[in-house]
Amino acid sequence: MLGNQSSLTLYFLPLLQHIAPGFLPGQYRARLLYRQWQTADMLKLNFSISGRWPGFVPGQHVVLTFKHNGRYISRPFSICSPLSLWQSQRQIQLCCKINRNGEFTPLLNQLKNGAVVNISKAQGNFAWQQPAAAAVFVAAGSGITPVAAMLLSQRHWLAPVSLFYRCRGAENAALLNDLQQLATRQPLFTLTLSDSRTEPAETLQQQLIANSSNKQFYLCGPAGFMQQIHTALTNNGVNAAQIRQEQFGLVIPAPAEHTTDTKQLTASFIRAGTSTQVTLNPQQSLLQSAEQHGLTPRFGCRMGVCFQCVCDKVSGQVRDLRSGALSSHGTEQIQLCVSQPVTKLVIKL
Amino acid sequence: MKLTTEQFTALAHELDSVKQQVQQQLGDADARYIRRVLLTQRLSALSGRILMVLGFITPWLWLAGVLLLALAKILDNMEIGHNVLHGQYDWMNDPMLHSRRYEWDIACDAGSWQRTHNFEHHTYTNIIGKDRDFGYGLLRLSNDFRWRLRNLWQGGSYLLLSMLFQWGVSYHELAAQRVFFGKKKPERHSQVSDSELKKAFFGKGARQLIKDYVFFPLIAGPMWLWVLTGNLLANLLRNLWTSTVIFCGHFTKDIYVFSAAECEGESRGQWYYRQMLGSSNFTGPTWLHILTGHLSCQIEHHLFPDIPARHYPAMAKQVQAIAAKYGIPYNTGSFVRQYSTVFLRIMRYSLPGGEKAVKAL
Repeated sequence: MLGNQSSLTLYFLPLLQHIAPGFLPGQYRARLLYRQWQTADMLKLNFSISGRWPGFVPGQHVVLTFKHNGRYISRPFSICSPLSLWQSQRQIQLCCKINRNGEFTPLLNQLKNGAVVNISKAQGNFAWQQPAAAAVFVAAGSGITPVAAMLLSQRHWLAPVSLFYRCRGAENAALLNDLQQLATRQPLFTLTLSDSRTEPAETLQQQLIANSSNKQFYLCGPAGFMQQIHTALTNNGVNAAQIRQEQFGLVIPAPAEHTTDTKQLTASFIRAGTSTQVTLNPQQSLLQSAEQHGLTPRFGCRMGVCFQCVCDKVSGQVRDLRSGALSSHGTEQIQLCVSQPVTKLVIKL
Repeated sequence: MKLTTEQFTALAHELDSVKQQVQQQLGDADARYIRRVLLTQRLSALSGRILMVLGFITPWLWLAGVLLLALAKILDNMEIGHNVLHGQYDWMNDPMLHSRRYEWDIACDAGSWQRTHNFEHHTYTNIIGKDRDFGYGLLRLSNDFRWRLRNLWQGGSYLLLSMLFQWGVSYHELAAQRVFFGKKKPERHSQVSDSELKKAFFGKGARQLIKDYVFFPLIAGPMWLWVLTGNLLANLLRNLWTSTVIFCGHFTKDIYVFSAAECEGESRGQWYYRQMLGSSNFTGPTWLHILTGHLSCQIEHHLFPDIPARHYPAMAKQVQAIAAKYGIPYNTGSFVRQYSTVFLRIMRYSLPGGEKAVKAL
């Protein structure tokens, strides 16, 4: 009340930021210790985090935020390091796919050692539910990151666990060394590489089905890939409750080919905790689409002047109707009345 | 309309490109600037409040404290609050500087301000019957309004409004919605219920009163009266300054006013045209621009309300050249000259008769 801000921290933020540039309340400072290319496009970043950070469950991700050209930009990334690294040294590793034409990820490769960024609390509920039961993990591409964290964190191996890792050859398989070492060390763990250049997807599906009796499945990879496997498994007697998967769109921005597919665009509008799924007309503003589906977002001028309809875009990309400029894929605020959908969206009204 | 349809399209195109040029260079320099203003605002508020208590050493410290607190409130309301609430810094993605989150050191609730100012005033600028900012339903500023007896003493009403400006601004939406007095106007639709309006008005107002007139005097102990008086003075100075600046933006001598009918279905170019005719600038040094929140460049602000205001003086040169090219009047002058025409207007229309400000376009 005294500072007209929701908290005194916010009131003193300009002073705090003067002392510690880039400081954000509710976030934790993380210092980059080193970075290392895993493959041609996967970069592993090793951060040391302030001890206040509450820790994580393997499989979870964090939102990484830093300032670039005056603006805070953020993206979620899965933690790929084992729990022990955090517990013993207060460090975590993120394995990030660098999209050379992207807005965010190339900047990760420009971060200097010692650079300070902000990370969120660990988020997400993709976790190894029954570590004592037999399980099959299936990961594709950069979907390996949360899976690697789970497997590398496992201390007491009680049942056989297999990992099917689909990638474009061993040279493009991030974290492969760590996983191979685990396989040599741990007889209950088997690692199978599935080369997407030489091996059709059906082969992998058949291997999985052959392996499927009484097992938990954990899938992480591009949405299309997971869908195929999910269908193949459930068609062959696997109960859907046995399959857990990570919404991969949240881990890494939707690939570029999705941006041109405007036929089946949907948005989830979240208001006061309830989510409404809406099919979007790509020719219209998000405000018009929302209203046609009976939603009543706040609005004013409907021409981008008054900022009454600003709301949080959680994920997805929009185009500014006035300038044609494309937004990022990450979390940011947008004006509904002048935003046109480009990809699938999640919006908090 | 003096311009042809093609000319309006061309005008919109030229102004859009002025905006685009600036939008493309937004970045670190803007972020650093607004953070510096914020830091200055915080430091002057804190030191102002401390110096007032130190008034027991010498009253000069108290006076310095009052001036610093007034400066802090002016910076908070004008260069920071007003501009942040317009979404000028939304691109920074900073929770502190976002139009939806910011709350300012003034009696008016930020949400209410965004509805009446950002939406109503900026969309329907100077349209009689739609933009209540033209005279605030209190002052008769042209012969487009019927003369009433109460206009006879509107010089006094104006002085009172200026002194209590923050409360006028805060009450603005409730007056428009006839929450307490008068009959509801059937054509007015509100997105917010009367009870929400009342809650925002009393809630924010009470918080401000408690802060400046209860909490800070209380913690000042024996200096309570000094602090209370100092806060009252700082609020008064801020009220007078903001009111003066804002009156210079739309009520100067050569301002244009519009009828609802002529603005029906206007194009982007016509909207720009109306914003240029309905606003007026004044000139001065950089510090003056900052203290007005760059509302000294009211024309540019109305054309580009979401562009960070520090760019307005540079954009003004381009806009003035465009105005000259299309033969559109560009209303600017020194602060003293512009303000004196405002004052004369208020006095002139306190008497019956006079000119209509709506001129056929």
